[in-house]
Amino acid sequence: MTPLLPLAGTLLVSGAAAAGESGVPLPQGWIGTTSQWIQAFGVAFVVLNVILLCLTWRRLRSDGPSSMWGWLLVAVGLVPIMVGFMTFAHGLESTTTVSACGSCHVMTPFVRDLQDVKSDTLAATHFKNRFIRESQCYTCHSDYGLGGTLKAKLAGLGHVWRYTTGLYDLPIKIAQPYPNFRCLGCHGESQRFLNSVTMKPILPELMSGQTPCLTCHGPAHPAQKKEARL
Amino acid sequence: MNDPPRRLRILRTAIVLTLVFNVIALLVLVRVTPVIFTVFMFLAQPLFGAALILLFGAVLAELRARQIL
Repeated sequence: MTPLLPLAGTLLVSGAAAAGESGVPLPQGWIGTTSQWIQAFGVAFVVLNVILLCLTWRRLRSDGPSSMWGWLLVAVGLVPIMVGFMTFAHGLESTTTVSACGSCHVMTPFVRDLQDVKSDTLAATHFKNRFIRESQCYTCHSDYGLGGTLKAKLAGLGHVWRYTTGLYDLPIKIAQPYPNFRCLGCHGESQRFLNSVTMKPILPELMSGQTPCLTCHGPAHPAQKKEARL
Repeated sequence: MNDPPRRLRILRTAIVLTLVFNVIALLVLVRVTPVIFTVFMFLAQPLFGAALILLFGAVLAELRARQIL
């Protein structure tokens, strides 16, 4: 297990360095995020599992299966379950990041605008002012609660399928009209929003979704050109 | 599954499937993209499930051979 510790440490240190890249000081005694720890332990468990599998394979050849059941249960049963749990947790969390959304090239114009400090689109304004601290694409494009997560993941599966098979049309369009409750999840209970002179008269319409927020606050993203598929 | 060489082959298949599962898991852990995560969810996990079924099949066969079950 000892050789694995520097590897886990390296992963954590690189993660911490990434967190401090923007120049914002990290809290004293910073030991990384939960996700970074899960990632590091996941990698350590994969390495451990590969070593165990190789040893089991070799001993299986020389000793036969009769004396190997304990090894087999650990190498093929117990440790891979830990690997699966950590990989699932890390994957579920990491696929909500902006970089994960931007990994499909069709999303490049959206991500480029999002990260452009000179852009005034709604998405860029939220990003550059850190109105949403992380996973900005996912936060605005998924509903709240467990149902929202499941729905977003199923939609994401559809996106992966269409992207991989090329079954999509350019320019990319949102599948359904953007619902107000995604904006109201954050803004709806803000006193500044509730007591705003301009918002107060139309609050019932906004709450019921009769008037979309984007009518006044759009566009959320820049207009796309009809681009060629890469 | 009572035949020892056959059992050995089954256990080796389980080990190979678990290795493939580990390789895909490592890809997710090191460089996750939605495509790699989908491959992990819909390919790697069923492969590992198959490895577990093979392992427990072999364990059951061994227990039966020793007349424990």
